Amino acid sequence: MPVNETVGDLNLDEYKYDFITTSEPVFRAQKGLSEEVVRQISAHKDEPEWMLDFRLKALKVYESKPMPKWGGDLDGLEAVLDEIYFYVRPQDQMERSWDDVPDEIKNTFEKLGIPEAERKVLAGVGAQYESEMVYHSLREEWQKQGVIFDSIEDGLKNHPELFREHFGTIIPTGDNKFSAMNSAVWSGGSFVYVPKGVSLDTPLQAYFRVNQERMGQFERTLIIIDEGAQAHYIEGCTAPVYSTESFHSGVIEIIVKDNARFRYTTIQNWSNNMYNLVTQRAIVGAGGHMEWLDGNLGSKLTMKYPSCYLMGEGAHGEILSIAYSGDGQHQDTGGKVVHVAPYTTSSIVSKSISKGTGRSTYRGLCKVHEGAHHARSNVECDALLINDTSRTDTYPYIEIEESDASVGHEASVSKIGEEQLFYLTSRGIRADEAMAMIVRGFIEPIAKQLPLEYAVELNRLIEMEMEGSVG
Amino acid sequence: MGQWVKVAAEGDCPVGKLKGVMAEGTPVVLANVDGTVCALMDRCSHEDYPLSDGELDGGDVVCIYHGARFDACSGARKSLPAIRPVRSFPVEIRDGDIYVDVG
Amino acid sequence: MSDSTTDALSAVAVDRLSLGEPQWLREQRAHAWDVYERTPMPTTRLEQWRYTDLAKTLDLSALTLSESQPAQDDPTTWPERLRVAMDEDHAASGHIVFIDGRVVHSDLDPSLVAKGVILMSLHEALDQHSHLLREHLTTTVPAEDGKFEALNAALWADGIFLYVPKGTQLDLPVRVTRWLSESGTAYFSRVLIVAESHSRISYVDEVLSDDFSSQTFTSTAVEVVARDGSQVQYVAVQRLGTNAFYQSVQRTLAHRDSKLDTLNVGLGASVSRVDLNAKLIGPGANSDMLGLYFGDASQHFDFNTSQDHLEPNTGSDLLYKGALDGDSRAVFRGIIRVHPGAQKTDAYQTCRTLLLSPGARVDSLPNLEIEADDVKCSHGATVGQLDAEAKFYLMSRGLDRVQAERLVVLGFLGEVMSRLPLGGVVDKVTRAIEEKLAQHG
Repeated sequence: MPVNETVGDLNLDEYKYDFITTSEPVFRAQKGLSEEVVRQISAHKDEPEWMLDFRLKALKVYESKPMPKWGGDLDGLEAVLDEIYFYVRPQDQMERSWDDVPDEIKNTFEKLGIPEAERKVLAGVGAQYESEMVYHSLREEWQKQGVIFDSIEDGLKNHPELFREHFGTIIPTGDNKFSAMNSAVWSGGSFVYVPKGVSLDTPLQAYFRVNQERMGQFERTLIIIDEGAQAHYIEGCTAPVYSTESFHSGVIEIIVKDNARFRYTTIQNWSNNMYNLVTQRAIVGAGGHMEWLDGNLGSKLTMKYPSCYLMGEGAHGEILSIAYSGDGQHQDTGGKVVHVAPYTTSSIVSKSISKGTGRSTYRGLCKVHEGAHHARSNVECDALLINDTSRTDTYPYIEIEESDASVGHEASVSKIGEEQLFYLTSRGIRADEAMAMIVRGFIEPIAKQLPLEYAVELNRLIEMEMEGSVG
Repeated sequence: MGQWVKVAAEGDCPVGKLKGVMAEGTPVVLANVDGTVCALMDRCSHEDYPLSDGELDGGDVVCIYHGARFDACSGARKSLPAIRPVRSFPVEIRDGDIYVDVG
Repeated sequence: MSDSTTDALSAVAVDRLSLGEPQWLREQRAHAWDVYERTPMPTTRLEQWRYTDLAKTLDLSALTLSESQPAQDDPTTWPERLRVAMDEDHAASGHIVFIDGRVVHSDLDPSLVAKGVILMSLHEALDQHSHLLREHLTTTVPAEDGKFEALNAALWADGIFLYVPKGTQLDLPVRVTRWLSESGTAYFSRVLIVAESHSRISYVDEVLSDDFSSQTFTSTAVEVVARDGSQVQYVAVQRLGTNAFYQSVQRTLAHRDSKLDTLNVGLGASVSRVDLNAKLIGPGANSDMLGLYFGDASQHFDFNTSQDHLEPNTGSDLLYKGALDGDSRAVFRGIIRVHPGAQKTDAYQTCRTLLLSPGARVDSLPNLEIEADDVKCSHGATVGQLDAEAKFYLMSRGLDRVQAERLVVLGFLGEVMSRLPLGGVVDKVTRAIEEKLAQHG
């Protein structure tokens, strides 16, 4: 692990000089969050003045906001925040050796069948990655079509007008405490622009990009899909993200313009000490189509509610989510659909599995504003409980201001049926295999929407989690 | 219309600041944008919190609770999570006092 | 609130109500007032009051307590509408008549009196059955539960005590009819129902009034205890006039193998807030929780329900249905809580709302908190319009639009009453809904 060295009272110019010329010893901003840290981040990234102002204002907003009292248990978070480094220079994150990665994680990679080279990247220890070549050829193709797929930092540098026009408009700094924190210290993430009418067949995989620059704890992503364009963006993977960090807070802003179609897929499997507090929101123009496919595994606590604001007539929003909570974990996830315009439609399908002392919470909002006549929305939540110590909650908010709207919500809670288990085991299937089969069947409606390699990984992961689940 | 109510002295709302007042039972937030005083309904259209708890950022009122942004003079919505504009009221300055018409 | 007016909601009023009461009750009231003063008024920042803004809908400082002398126990002097309401469904095991917050009449079938059934005002019960009141009063709905619970426990002026001894089964319901007439008044009353093991009772409580010229507040705290194997039905029908604020806290305790069902019918009042909590506290206990409402003009209904499963093999099934016309608004917030160890629980919750006019709006929050795995739980919520197909079908059979709509709405709401078909109640509620529908264009 790199040596901790704070910059103390160095003035910014000196410090910048250090940054450029010194690769050893490794630099880290000081622990905790302060104006100094924010200024250092901005200086490191050589940002324009307006972004520094934006960050400093965000820091004030962050400090003024109380910790949320709803959702998961955030009592232990203050102590965590005092101890973390809010900025680590990206390349320094790579400087871990494969030997440092715990066996548990290595075994998981092996069982998931993840190629050797990718394992290292996922574990944050790799520098090279086979798919880089694939990425480069794709990138050439995309560039010809005017597609931008950059790091968020490069987005700000290379496309300042487009960036500034949209940045922070979908999720304002003050939206919640953690969006304010992210606005102050964001680092890493993607900037995507797909021009009018351009349709991408190959998904944009953050995977490829983060290879060059590891995604930070405070990722910030801004995606603009122009009129009539189509794209699919994939982030994360089912393999556990090996991280010694215990906090992740992302902000994902998405603009889907008229008649555009976009899907954002994220499957994340965080280490079990992680607080994962993410704000992700999309606005959708007339005839536009937005889908969130959201898988949450691992972490100590995840709070994440992807949302769709259906602003234009006929816009459609869809949220598919899977949550898995094992021992000591709490997935507080769900989705929000806000119908603003007429003839808008939406659907939320949420499936959760709680095992051991795990707890899965669905928290959602379906709002139909006055004037959104002929809006239609359907919400389905199913929770599966594996043990008698598992817990599940459902908190849907349904707010209807328009009489000419139809909204349905259904939720159910069940355990794995003993008859089902008996049927399978009596045919010679091991009990934990049978359990995994049933769980796979339970999440199948969502898993089948995943790209094949993700679906395969997810299935393997469930098999692993179900091992020894039958006592 | 035409119900002018004295709500504050000019000095009560300095440049770049917001001030919450009541006008005939209507909560009003005054905003001094570079010397021009504007008035909006003091309720964010998102979740009804008082805008006067927030701050003036250039020509925008920013709600402190969820970051919604409105044009301080027209009430036009500038960002999510607000969906609707906020009602604006005519303002007049007479003899150093601020009058608002909430008619 | 000024202490100079004895009629205002104040500590002085609490002292005055305590006069002549036993020490334990005086202490209970004083304690409740203390809790009330310490508890802040709920605001929309509280999850349970998110959609009902008391700052805009209730001004307690403008209210006084009833000043009038209790009415006479003479039906010829009672208001016409009260008598009509009683006559609509007179068949009963016993009656209570409440006028302006005081019990003015009570009767009970003598054969039931002989069996030890008790039906009387709380004041009478204080004289005759003090030990039972002391054992039960405010134990199920204690002052600590909230601002209104505390206010009621401090200021109740009268109430009803119904006690059914072990094994006693009443074939006909007990009927309570309440009439309110004083504008600007706050009424506080309590209901205490104790059904001993293997007894059976139905209780129907109807409150009505004309329109009020200024806000009138009525607060009821209802405590229902169903002991092992008993069967209890509690029905509340609210038909108050405009400017009434109806506030009712109801809690039911279902012991082992008991069946404790409730039905809330909301038709009147400008603002109506019902807090209903069903606790299943014995294995095998079961509760059906039914609700029906019809709003028009600018009526506001807020139902806040909870189903607490604390023991194994318990069941609860909630169905709330409403139709909203005009600019009316409804809030349904319900929660099923399956506590650890309450295995083999079956718990269901359904709320369905029909929006009949462009100005109507509804907020639904059907929640689940499940801490046991071997359970069957589900909830469903729908919001929609009149079933156009059903309407066109009926119109194609020769009905005009208004008639067709009426039938579809009654069919929609009728499902609730069919689940608890008490004689008299179904007809009465159907008539009242028809009256409201007649005003629907």
